[in-house]
Amino acid sequence: MSETIVGEVVSESAFGRVHFDAAAGVATLVMQMPGRANTIDQTFIEGLGGALDRIQALDGLRGIIVASGHKDFCAGANIDMLYQARDAAAFYAATRTLGALFRRLETGGVPVVAALTGSALGGGYELALACHHRIALDDARVQVGLPEVSLGVIPGGGATQRLPRLVGLQPAMEMILQGQSRRAPKALQAGFVDALAPDAEALFAQARAYIAEHPKAQQPWDQKGFRWKGPRPGTDDARGLFMGAAAMLYKKAAGAVPAPEMALRAIQEGMGLSFDRALEVEARYFTHVAVSDTAKDMIRTLWYHRGAAERHEGLPSVADPAIARVAILGAGMMGAGLAWVAASKGYEVIVKDIAEAALERGRAHCAEQATTRGKHLGAEGQQAILARIAWTLDDAALAGVDLVIEAVVENDEVKAKVTRAVEAVMSPAGIFASNTSAIPITHLAQASVRRDRFIGLHFFSPVEQMPLVEIVMGADTSEDTLARSLAFIRRIGKLPIVVNDGYGFFTSRVFGAYLMESVELVAEGHDPVLIEQAARAAGMAVPPLKVFDEVSLSLGEHAMAQRRKFAKDQGPPPAGLAVLAKLAELGRMGKASGKGFYEYEGRTRHLWPGLRELASGTPARTGLELIRDRLMYAQIAEVGRALEDGVVRQYRDAEVGAIFGIGFAPATGGPLSWMDRRGLPRVVADLRALADTVGTRYTPAPILVRMAERGERFFPAV
Amino acid sequence: MRPADTSLPPMTREDAVGDAFIFDAVRTPRGRGKDSGSLYTVRPVELFATTLRALRDRNGLDTAQVEDVVAGCVTQTGDQGQCLARTAVLEAGYDQGVPGVTVNRFCGSGLEAVNHAAALVAAGYSDLVVAGGVESMSRVPMGSDGGALSDPAFVLGVGSVPQGISADLLATLRGITREDADAFAVESQARCARAQAAGHFDRSLVPVTDLSGLVILDRDEHPRPDTTLETLAKLKPSFEMMGTMFGLDAITRKAWPQVEAIRHIHHAGNSSGIVDGAAAVLIGSADKGRALGLRPRARIRSIAMVGDEPILMLDGPIPASRKALAKAGMEIGDIDRFEVNEAFATVPITFMRTLGVDHARLNVDGGAIALGHPLGATGAMLLGTCLDALEREGLGTGLVTLCIGGGMGIATIIERV
Repeated sequence: MSETIVGEVVSESAFGRVHFDAAAGVATLVMQMPGRANTIDQTFIEGLGGALDRIQALDGLRGIIVASGHKDFCAGANIDMLYQARDAAAFYAATRTLGALFRRLETGGVPVVAALTGSALGGGYELALACHHRIALDDARVQVGLPEVSLGVIPGGGATQRLPRLVGLQPAMEMILQGQSRRAPKALQAGFVDALAPDAEALFAQARAYIAEHPKAQQPWDQKGFRWKGPRPGTDDARGLFMGAAAMLYKKAAGAVPAPEMALRAIQEGMGLSFDRALEVEARYFTHVAVSDTAKDMIRTLWYHRGAAERHEGLPSVADPAIARVAILGAGMMGAGLAWVAASKGYEVIVKDIAEAALERGRAHCAEQATTRGKHLGAEGQQAILARIAWTLDDAALAGVDLVIEAVVENDEVKAKVTRAVEAVMSPAGIFASNTSAIPITHLAQASVRRDRFIGLHFFSPVEQMPLVEIVMGADTSEDTLARSLAFIRRIGKLPIVVNDGYGFFTSRVFGAYLMESVELVAEGHDPVLIEQAARAAGMAVPPLKVFDEVSLSLGEHAMAQRRKFAKDQGPPPAGLAVLAKLAELGRMGKASGKGFYEYEGRTRHLWPGLRELASGTPARTGLELIRDRLMYAQIAEVGRALEDGVVRQYRDAEVGAIFGIGFAPATGGPLSWMDRRGLPRVVADLRALADTVGTRYTPAPILVRMAERGERFFPAV
Repeated sequence: MRPADTSLPPMTREDAVGDAFIFDAVRTPRGRGKDSGSLYTVRPVELFATTLRALRDRNGLDTAQVEDVVAGCVTQTGDQGQCLARTAVLEAGYDQGVPGVTVNRFCGSGLEAVNHAAALVAAGYSDLVVAGGVESMSRVPMGSDGGALSDPAFVLGVGSVPQGISADLLATLRGITREDADAFAVESQARCARAQAAGHFDRSLVPVTDLSGLVILDRDEHPRPDTTLETLAKLKPSFEMMGTMFGLDAITRKAWPQVEAIRHIHHAGNSSGIVDGAAAVLIGSADKGRALGLRPRARIRSIAMVGDEPILMLDGPIPASRKALAKAGMEIGDIDRFEVNEAFATVPITFMRTLGVDHARLNVDGGAIALGHPLGATGAMLLGTCLDALEREGLGTGLVTLCIGGGMGIATIIERV
């Protein structure tokens, strides 16, 4: 890229360097911070300030190109800095300083062009928005976007004010409130960038041309007679749009996720103000969310822990996993889905079932995936993937496969039978994995003649979409088997957590507690509508009765039977089981059977009014908060027992597993962060109170009591 | 609340007629009313909610006991549209059973809210009411709500000029010179500076903060303590061009044919400042105060509102004050402290000259020339300022009055208890 930048280096710092082409009057600021990316921190703020001082003092300056010496343009805020931020006054001051620098850049009297040779995200895109013109490399790998809300914060470098003024309210709100990014070609269509260039050389040539043609570039919002694209401030249209956006946020998150709400407020409140003061409004909202517990908890789990899980930190690796051919047992939703996922990542896959009809359905499923998820690959690419998937009714066809993933019915005897049959033909060095969601791996491994190479790979449905894999170590599973399995997981692009064995492992165990508590609440006579809304208000991704219908009551019943067989504990509360039995008797088996906790009419659903009649009586006390606490603490108590039983090997896995596996409230950071935020003494006291008044299933596990007594936390406080 | 005694017949309105007491009064600082003003970024509803929260928190108030919130607000459009009082009640986290009403009596709105609340309490219809007001002049410019005052039908049929022309007409009629007005303005600034330094406003002032608790503004930012006669002398009269070149002075002849020419003496330095701010006053009955453990600070002795000649417009404080005094059975000499809104310097000067009030007893901590005049809030602010002054100086009675657009006046007399 260096040949594309013209001019002598006139200054250099840890932030980057400034070139000046005196003949053309063009200064190029090349950001190149230590490490592999440009991120916004104190070095950035000081470096940008210094560079602007130097540039704006240059004789004959006619324009500025802002560029990057790294692969990406700028990745946005330095997350370590953001995570540590707790002092609102200091954070606000730093935000205002950065805001003033961006303002200085766009009001300096010369045109400024952002040269997006790589992605510009978050604060990086905000820097680009503070330029007069954005040119991106015409490459789908180059993205622009504002993902801030995904870490519990909002844009703080001016995007809530510049973007709506640049592209109009609606597209700006979509990007900001949903934390979206756009690939360069799409970004051009919506006006998120102004031009594309086929290569870096052309990009810089276009930048110089823009400067030559726009000697007095001024941001639209700094021009007299600035007109909004779409609704203007204070109009009925704008009010309607904000009302709709607010409703959409509440429908989606039931008030449990603050950042998008704050972003929306910043957009609306800043919209009608003078531009400089609008930036102040944003900075105040940004500060408020940045120093909040929610941001800390989301960053810890969704950035640090998720990143560590993605990088397999602390987990074994192997140079050659020796997995080329993969067999999937069972062509159902999970089996066929897994076949598509593995084949699309280059594996040779063979799917085995016992019925031709099942194979047919599996084939159809994969064909559909090809035309939907594989749409961008074109017919040829789609065919290549489908061609890698073979379908068979014959065990012998599995001869020599390196990895078997069993996805047959949740019955240990059936699983034992297929294990014996397939182990007889598969590669002797191969791995046998069970996709069971709950049955102990050590028990299933009893059917295996190579228990060191028997492992649990618990995928989530729909597997094409759900990123998590819960890897379960049986008593005899070897570290090498884990390492090889992890290599497979990495190649198919899934996010692993690794847990020890025990009924329900980690995710199903906690999920079961959530679902059964909701049924217990129904049995006690709490309003089912309130139960569903309380779960939403607590931040749970899906309300329990709705999701129970989706996984089906028969699966629930099945799980209960397995649980009685394998779990050491007392089992679920009996009143809820009676409700399940009654629903089964009425044929209300869930969504697939057309009725369950809900009634289904076309595309709409509503809670079945008859549910109330299944209740044993009327609860003495009820209400949103009581129900919310019951639903959350039922899960927390179960998490405590999973910790006590040694199922959780690393705390991060409990957090990542809960959020990505079962939709545990993401804004809380996961169950352990949830406990830390309340403080373990309060958690233990609340659990004891519930154990006394509701049921012993709430009794806090000894580990929680111990930690509370010692004043310990799961994660260091920030 | 009094415990219900079912052996007695239901209480009638006559039984309950009595006094209205002021338990507390708070205000925000006044921010410069333009886009560089500190409070420009604060939504007006939040500004008023700030004062409602302060009343609640300072007094440990169970807000469910509040029977109404009356807010003065003049320009009820845009951010100040809809019923701001009710939205502020809810944003402030008051009990949802508390209703709200937003009233507009132009510049008298804040005091109108106080009088309205006092009337409800004194009549026995309500036992506890919050009165106050808000105006964010930076966000909702004066006059942006439209209205009939500039319709040819009204201007030609009834008679109406902009307030500045009225102020200059009043000065001309009363023989008030530019020097008189400038001297008053310099004194207003000096008094305000002394009051700020001595902490006279501290009791009533509540800072405006953001969601993180960072202070947005904690002191009045409009005063210019360095103001002198010399600096004011440089300012050009604000309404001269409008009056002479655009001919608006001519309209005044409709009511004041004897005025040959208006002397334009008012300018930005001897008129009230355009600012943002809010205020709230807690008003209730003696019984309610006892029941809630609230100590009354003052009794409302009387209230008055009047209409006057609309082109002169700004002389209303005099008939309004006379009426309030008469209703209270008092004489002008019975009043220890006066707060006369400094809409224009001419207004308090005329008031002092006509009623024979010594400047030492009037606007002792300065006024709107220094501090600014957030239209809908000023009346409630002046009430608090007056009460603070009476308490500080150990005095008994105070009179608050404001001139009002459309030729009205409003006054309230309070007495410490």
